[in-house]
Amino acid sequence: MSNLKYRVLLIVALVAASLWSLFPRKVVERVKRGDTYVFDTVTRVPLKRGLDLQGGMHLALEIDESKGTVADKSEALDRAIKVVRTRIDEFGVAEPVVQKSGTDQIIVELPGIDDPERAMGVVQKSAFLEFQITDKTSALEKALPRFDAILKEAGAAVGVAAAGDTAKKGEKGLQELFTPGKDSAAKASNDSTKKDSLALTPGGAFSKLIQQGQFPGEYFVAEKDVPTLQRYLDLPAIKAAIPPGKVLRWGSETQSLGATQYRPIYLLDSRPIITGEYLVGAKPNQVPLEGTVVEFTLNNEGGRRFRAETAKHIRDYMAIVLDQRVMGRPPVIQGAIGTRGQITMGQGRSLQEAQDLALVLRAGALPVPLKVAEVRNIGASLGQDSIRNGIRALIIAVALVVLIMVVYYRFSGVLSVIALGLYVMYTAAMLAYFNAVLTLPGLAGFVLSVGIAVDANVLIFERIREELARGKTVRTSIDEGFRHALTAIIDTSVTTILTAAVLYQYGTGPVQGFAVTLIAGITASLFTAIFVVRTFYLLWLSRSRGAQTLSI
Amino acid sequence: MLRILHDTNFDFIKWWRTAAGLTAAFILLGLASFAFRGGVNRSIEFTGGTLMQLKFTKAVDAGRIRSTLDRAGVRGAEIQQFGADNEFTVRAQNSEDVASQAAGAETVAQRVEAALTKEFGANSYTVGRTEAVGPRVGEELSRNAAIAMLLASLVTLVYLAIRFEWRFGVAAVLSTAHDVLVTLAFIKLLHVEVSLTVVAAILTLLGYSGNDTIIIFDRVRENLKKDRKSPLYDVLNRSINETLPRSVLTHATTLAATLALLFFAGEVLRPFAIVMAFGIFVATFSSIYVASPLLLWIEHKWPRTSSDKASGKATVRASRTEIPPGERSPRPRQPEKAGTR
Repeated sequence: MSNLKYRVLLIVALVAASLWSLFPRKVVERVKRGDTYVFDTVTRVPLKRGLDLQGGMHLALEIDESKGTVADKSEALDRAIKVVRTRIDEFGVAEPVVQKSGTDQIIVELPGIDDPERAMGVVQKSAFLEFQITDKTSALEKALPRFDAILKEAGAAVGVAAAGDTAKKGEKGLQELFTPGKDSAAKASNDSTKKDSLALTPGGAFSKLIQQGQFPGEYFVAEKDVPTLQRYLDLPAIKAAIPPGKVLRWGSETQSLGATQYRPIYLLDSRPIITGEYLVGAKPNQVPLEGTVVEFTLNNEGGRRFRAETAKHIRDYMAIVLDQRVMGRPPVIQGAIGTRGQITMGQGRSLQEAQDLALVLRAGALPVPLKVAEVRNIGASLGQDSIRNGIRALIIAVALVVLIMVVYYRFSGVLSVIALGLYVMYTAAMLAYFNAVLTLPGLAGFVLSVGIAVDANVLIFERIREELARGKTVRTSIDEGFRHALTAIIDTSVTTILTAAVLYQYGTGPVQGFAVTLIAGITASLFTAIFVVRTFYLLWLSRSRGAQTLSI
Repeated sequence: MLRILHDTNFDFIKWWRTAAGLTAAFILLGLASFAFRGGVNRSIEFTGGTLMQLKFTKAVDAGRIRSTLDRAGVRGAEIQQFGADNEFTVRAQNSEDVASQAAGAETVAQRVEAALTKEFGANSYTVGRTEAVGPRVGEELSRNAAIAMLLASLVTLVYLAIRFEWRFGVAAVLSTAHDVLVTLAFIKLLHVEVSLTVVAAILTLLGYSGNDTIIIFDRVRENLKKDRKSPLYDVLNRSINETLPRSVLTHATTLAATLALLFFAGEVLRPFAIVMAFGIFVATFSSIYVASPLLLWIEHKWPRTSSDKASGKATVRASRTEIPPGERSPRPRQPEKAGTR
C-alpha cells in the first residue's frame, strides 16, 4: 500500500505545483478603462497571451537594399536590432519582443499597440542626423545650364508650366513669411531676394522648375513640380552632374503662399560638420515662434567639434538633415554653438511627433535602412472576442466530453472526468511554467486535446470491459486493461508529439502556440489518463476490497 | 452498463470495393478541381497581400464596399462577410499591390481605410485586424509549410514503419497518405482557405489518423497471436469489430471538442475546425476501409516466408491455406492471464 501512498502524494504534489504556478500574480499590462486602454498593474493568472489574443502588432523587418547593397548583412542586422530595441524600449510597450529571425529579418512584437502607423514609423526611421552647411558658391546656378542640356539631350518631356507668375505673385508673401526676424538673417534674405526674384535661367526644362530662395543654397519648387524634379534628379546623368562635394536635399515641409505650395530644396556641402553620433539627449518642446522643436544635447567631444566648426561658419546657414531631409529651415549661425541645439519641426506639428523624433534620435541611427516585410495588427477588442469565444468553446467541449464519459462509463467515467479536470490544470500550469505563449490556434489545440485526452481512457475502459466480459476479476481486469492499452496510447502520443514538434519548428507565432499547447496537452494526458486514473482505481479497490462489480 | 456496437460482427472488409470506389472518386474529383481550377485557396500568409477585418457600426452592403475600394484603386480585392452582417474581411492579393507595398509605397491598408472613411464616415467602422505580408515572406512561409508537411509525413511514416513489421507499416502509411489526399480534396472542393492554422490541422490529422490505424493493427497483431487458424480476412474483421466501441467513443469525444470549436470559437478558427471535423470522419473511415483491406492485399501479394517468422514478429496468413508446419512450433508469447502483478 505504500506504493499507493506515493502515487497519491505525487498527484497531490503536482496539483500543488500547478496551483502555485497558476496562482494569480501582479503584472503590468494594458487594460480597458472606459473606452481606452491603459497600462496598469493587475493581478491575474500568469498565462502569457499571444498577440492574437491580447491585441498588438507583429512586424517583420528586412534590410532595404533598394538604395544600395549591404556588404555584411548579418552584422548590420545585429546592430540594427540594438537600435530597434532601444527605440522600442523607449516607446513604452509592456513586453516587447525584438529578435533576429533567420539571417536577414528582425521580428518585432508589440503587444497592445493601437497606433500601428506610428509604431512602424518609430521602428523604421533610420534617424541619421547630419549638420551640413548650405552652399555659398552658387554652384547650382552654375550647374543649371548643364542640367538643362542633359535633359534636352535626354529628350525629357518639358510639359511642366513654368511657375513664374505664381512665384512673382508670391514673392512679397515669401519675404514676409520667411524673414526669420534676426538681423543678419533678415539682411541675408533681403540680399538674396533682391538679387533675383525670378526663375534662375529661363527656358531650360530643369531650371524652369526651380527658383531661388532667400539665402544661398536655398531654392523653392512648386509642390506640383516636386515629382517631376525628383524624376529628373533620379536620372543617372543628372546625378553625375551635381557639383562635386555638394548634395541636394529636400526640405521637410512645404511653405504655402496664396494658392501655391512650395517645397524648399537645398544644396549642401556634402561633408557634415557633425553627425548624430555625438548626440546624448533629445527632448521635445513647444516654443512660441518656431512651433514644435526637438532640443538636443551633444556630448563633450561633439560639443568641442561643433563649437570649432560653427566658429568657422559664422553667418552661414546650417541645415539640420535627418534621413536626408532638411528639418525646418536652416538657421543662420550667429556664433559658435556648443553642446546644445534644436531641430525645428515647424508649426502645426504635434508634440507627439517631436516626441517620436526625440526618441529615435536618442536611440541612435539605424545602420541600414529597414523595410517592413510583414505586418500583423490585431485590435485589442478582437483579441478579447477571441479569448471569450475560445474559452466558451473550451467549456462546451469539456461539458460535452464529460457528458459522454459519465453517461457511457458511469463510475469509471466520473474517475476519468476528475482526471480530465486535473489534466486541464496541469496543462495550463505547464504553459505558465514554461512561459509558453497562448495563442488562438493554441486555444484550439487545447480544446482539441481535451477530446483526445480522454481517448486513452476510452481505450483502457473498453479493454477493462472486455476483460470483465471474459469473466476475470475486477482487479485483474483493471490491470489487464491498463497493460494492454499502454502501447497503443504511447504510439498515439509519440506520433502527435512528433508532428507538433515539426509544426513548432516551421510555424509562425500563432501556430507555434498550437504546437506547444498540443505537446503540453499530450504530456499531461499521458500522466492523467494512465497514472492518475489507475491511482483512482487502486484507491477504490483498497476501499472496497473484494469488489465483485465495477461500474464501467 | 451502457453499450453501443458491442459484440458486433459486421463484415467490414466485404465493402472494401465500394469504399475504395467512393474514396477514389472523391480524390479524383479533388484532383480534377486542382487541374482545372488551379491550386487551393491560399491565405495571404502564403500569397502575400493585405487582409483587413472590418466591423461596421451598422449593417452595410458588401457591394458598396467593393465599389468604394474599386474607386480607390484597390482592385480585385475580395470582400467577404465574416460572421455578422456588419463584419467583413477585405483581402487584397493583387500581385501589383503586393509588389508596390514591398517597394515601400503607401500601404494598401492605408488606402482602404482612407477610401472607407470617405465613403462611410470616420467612426462608422473599426479595423479589427490588419495583416500585410510581403511577397518574399509569403514565399518563405509557403516553403516552410511544404517542408513541415513533408517532414511531418516522413516522421509519422518512419515511426509507423518502425513500430510495425513492414506489411503493417506499408498499409498504415498508405492509409495515412490517403487521409491527407482526401482532406486536401475536401479543402479544394469546399474552397476552404488554407492558412497556416489549416496546415496545422492537416498535420494534426496526420498523427490522428495514424493512431486509429495503429489501434486496429495492434488488435490484429494480438488476435493473430491468439488465433493461428482463422484467415486474416476474419481476423481483420474481428479486430475491427472489437475495437469498434472504442473507435466510436473516442471519435465522439474528439468530434464533440471539434464541433465546440466549429460553432463557438468564432470565425477565425472555423476553417481549422471544419478541416479537423472532416478529417476525423476520414480517419475513422480509412482505418477500417482503407488500412485493413490494404493489409489484406499486401499479405496476399507478398505471403510470408520463414525468414519473416524468424524475426519474431506477428505472422499472418492471407488465405485459408493449410498452416505451414513451422508455424505450429511454440513461440514465446506474452502471458495472457498474467494480470495480477
